[in-house]
Amino acid sequence: MSFDFALIVDSIPKMLMGIGLTFQLLFLSAALGLALAIILLLMRISGRWYLAAPTMVYIYIFRGTPILVQIFIIYYGLPQLEFVRDSIFWPILREPFGCAIVALTLNTGAYVSEILRGGVLGVDRGLKEAGAALGLSATHRFIYITSPIAIRLCLPAYSNDVISLMKSTALASTITLLDMMGIARTIVAETYAPYEIFISVMVIYLVLTWFIQRSFGWIEKRMSRHVKSEA
Amino acid sequence: MSDGDGTNIIELENVDKFFGAFQALKNISLSVKKGERIVVCGPSGSGKSTLIRCINRLEEHDNGKIVVNGHELTSDVKDINAVRREVGMVFQNFNLFPHLTVIGNLMLAPKLVRKSSKSEARDTAMKYLERVKIPEQADKWPSQLSGGQQQRVAIARALCMNPEVMLFDEPTSALDPEMISEVLDVMTDLAQEGMTMIVVTHEMGFARSVADSVVFMDAGEIVEMNPPKEFFDNPKNERTKLFLSQILTH
Amino acid sequence: MEAVTGWWDDFFWGSLVVVELFVVALFLTILFGLIGAAAKLSKSRVAHSIASAYTIVFRGTPEILVLLLFYFGSAVTLTAIAQVIDPEIKFVDIPPFWAGSLAIALIVGSYATETFRGAFLGVDPGQVEAARALGVSNLQTFIYVRIPAMWRLALPPFGNHMLSLIKDTALIAIIGLEETLFVAEQAIGTTGKPFTMYIVVGAIYLGFSTIITLSVMVLERYANRHLEIAR
Repeated sequence: MSFDFALIVDSIPKMLMGIGLTFQLLFLSAALGLALAIILLLMRISGRWYLAAPTMVYIYIFRGTPILVQIFIIYYGLPQLEFVRDSIFWPILREPFGCAIVALTLNTGAYVSEILRGGVLGVDRGLKEAGAALGLSATHRFIYITSPIAIRLCLPAYSNDVISLMKSTALASTITLLDMMGIARTIVAETYAPYEIFISVMVIYLVLTWFIQRSFGWIEKRMSRHVKSEA
Repeated sequence: MSDGDGTNIIELENVDKFFGAFQALKNISLSVKKGERIVVCGPSGSGKSTLIRCINRLEEHDNGKIVVNGHELTSDVKDINAVRREVGMVFQNFNLFPHLTVIGNLMLAPKLVRKSSKSEARDTAMKYLERVKIPEQADKWPSQLSGGQQQRVAIARALCMNPEVMLFDEPTSALDPEMISEVLDVMTDLAQEGMTMIVVTHEMGFARSVADSVVFMDAGEIVEMNPPKEFFDNPKNERTKLFLSQILTH
Repeated sequence: MEAVTGWWDDFFWGSLVVVELFVVALFLTILFGLIGAAAKLSKSRVAHSIASAYTIVFRGTPEILVLLLFYFGSAVTLTAIAQVIDPEIKFVDIPPFWAGSLAIALIVGSYATETFRGAFLGVDPGQVEAARALGVSNLQTFIYVRIPAMWRLALPPFGNHMLSLIKDTALIAIIGLEETLFVAEQAIGTTGKPFTMYIVVGAIYLGFSTIITLSVMVLERYANRHLEIAR
């Protein structure tokens, strides 16, 4: 049983061709998901039941079901429904890429909104009271006091979620997309060399993970300049 | 005691406050004239913090009437913010905004609430930083300052809004003993300049030298209220006598 | 909805497979998590490095990749070994059930390692000292003092690990395990209703998530009962 290094050398460039798609899936879903998460958060903490309740149901469903199932529902399932086929979204939902983005966005949006909410809840009550005592309106307090502190608090959890999102992009390979995982699976199917190929692509993913962690570590450091480290 | 004709800057009439089934304030009536310095003392749980927190509506009273500087406190948002602009508060735990520098802390509210320009806000901020004797700390982060310095910044922050009344909620209780006097000195200066103040504190030396009236609260009620000399030398109520004997013997 | 009739018992059996998977994987996860935590807390540099490598690799690699690598890798190895014995053999694999449960247990186990490690570190050293001072042996201290205290701290994040575990079981359908997604695919083949069928799968998983979440809430209340009474 030999380790075919030649195969690895040959395959890595091919798999790296998939990295473009991996990045697109990651960045687009992360950006859209964050926007969605902010909207969900504001609805959730609005204090109005007709905004908060649907949000809680949404989050419950998307965090309680496997993302693979969500992808399948959107890609394989939605075409069954006539009103989807007739809608303006159909061009997006017809394509595997569009479906993957939609699924990943909806999923990460649910998780990130809870992470943001955790950050908001972690802001010391006294600081909000001090803002109120100074006469700041609720909106001003949220923008200038709560948000900056909440963001710093939820960075660790958020960076973990971005890594999870990156790992989830690999599931796009199950709906025919040729991201890194998709290409890897294709090569393995042709060459029957799972160790060489899968381990190589694993290394690439680990490098990406490391890179994401470093970036967030840098951001956290910058945002924590004002925090005194415990001596 | 109550003066009805408008020289009272703060007026509480028959105020009750409940937290669930627990009654924190029982039928409180109190008047504060402009320029008056009131010290409120009492055992923990007596309702003293709740009392001053009702004045700037950090707590909402359940019965009775509270009027601050001509505004009656109701659930109307406009009124609440109008009151809070005129009433400054200093907290036991300072509550400085950690993500803003010292001067940032001072400039935030004037810019947002009084719509001051950046330079106006900065000038006001530096003026009050000098008042509390730490102008050189302007660009530091709160976490870099000692407790006493942080509390002085908190006082300056409240003063930047040019309030008519200052409320102090146990301002020195969280400080190490050697820093208490620097804060009390600032408060004494403020009093001597004519600021109307209500101070919840255990610092009886401060009460004796600065207060016009000392209020003793216990179990949600105002038990006794007198000028300091009367209060300390000739307490009338048994509960007051008990409290004084407990805190003055060390 | 009538399309689903006739398939209910198949979905039921598929759900049972999911439950079996979950139980096996849960047991393995706790095992890997405790071993990993012990390794990370030990004084041995070797153990520490191996455990670190373990957590880095399995937290940074897409789940589907781990699964495929495991399954196909072991199949290739086993087949090669088997062909030495009997050249007629074409394909030997570890049954998907075991390959799958092992793979997801390794993945979630890497997160559990960090959780258990943090929880062990959070145990009040004063309690341990008190036990030793009373003459209680090292092993007994570990079992009767450290572990109960550790569980109370670990329970909330471990609840999340259990949710990850149940959702990851869906991925095992990709290597051919006959659980709910597999049933869905067959049902789609005859009824032509992918949306309906995948929604049923989603609902089944949502049900499982809910049961887990409620169970964790009950367990948390039980673990913290001594604190409630003190109020």
